[in-house]
Amino acid sequence: MGEDIKRNNDKIPFDENNYTHNIRKAGERRLDRRGFMKTMVGAAGIFAVSTMPWGAIAVKELTGLGSKSHPKQKLANANDLKIGEAIEFAYPGEHDAALLVRLGENEFKAYQNACTHLKCPVFWSKEEGRLVCPCHHGFFDVKTGKPTAGPPQRPLPEVVLSKEQGAIYATGVKRYET
Amino acid sequence: MKRSYRGVILLCFVLLLNIICTQQVVNSFFYDRFERVVLFAVCNIVLFPIALWIYFRERDVR
Repeated sequence: MGEDIKRNNDKIPFDENNYTHNIRKAGERRLDRRGFMKTMVGAAGIFAVSTMPWGAIAVKELTGLGSKSHPKQKLANANDLKIGEAIEFAYPGEHDAALLVRLGENEFKAYQNACTHLKCPVFWSKEEGRLVCPCHHGFFDVKTGKPTAGPPQRPLPEVVLSKEQGAIYATGVKRYET
Repeated sequence: MKRSYRGVILLCFVLLLNIICTQQVVNSFFYDRFERVVLFAVCNIVLFPIALWIYFRERDVR
């Protein structure tokens, strides 16, 4: 047996078990048709795996597992606030300034009042009927929180309100809607 | 030797779809359209078994 191997090794290429004698082109064996197809399947696998985290986050958002719960906080008694007036409060944290505006008899709107441009405080202008950022003259629609003029591009995050026994409560903050 | 390049072409097409789906996933995620994100992520995952199937079918075709 050992002699056979030795004898074969004297003769290169071998007669019987040489599978490469018919390859003429340099590098043909490195990436042949089948190797290329394997690479493509591998790439498809990588693409599939790489989109999984995005999909997982999306499912989490859709099922509501990702939405943060905020504490319920009493803001004011409805009758303390006249129609067209606004008060400031802090929600959900003590450093997150927000603005509650009474627009009608039963119409209240509240937004976090850090301007979405450069975080200047946004004020309620009763005369103009809109939310005003004095720093760079940004204006927001009070009904939707969307910017109407000036540099800000994104709407103010709206604070979700509920009314119970004549008092206004903040119950959550809506996520940015783009 | 004449080979069949059908598998190569089909897999190139699958990879093109993969790229499109991935791009759509990222863009939809940026705009918070989560239904679309899930849709295209699932498409991308489904494309992998399809690619495997094409590979096994076309592997030994001469």
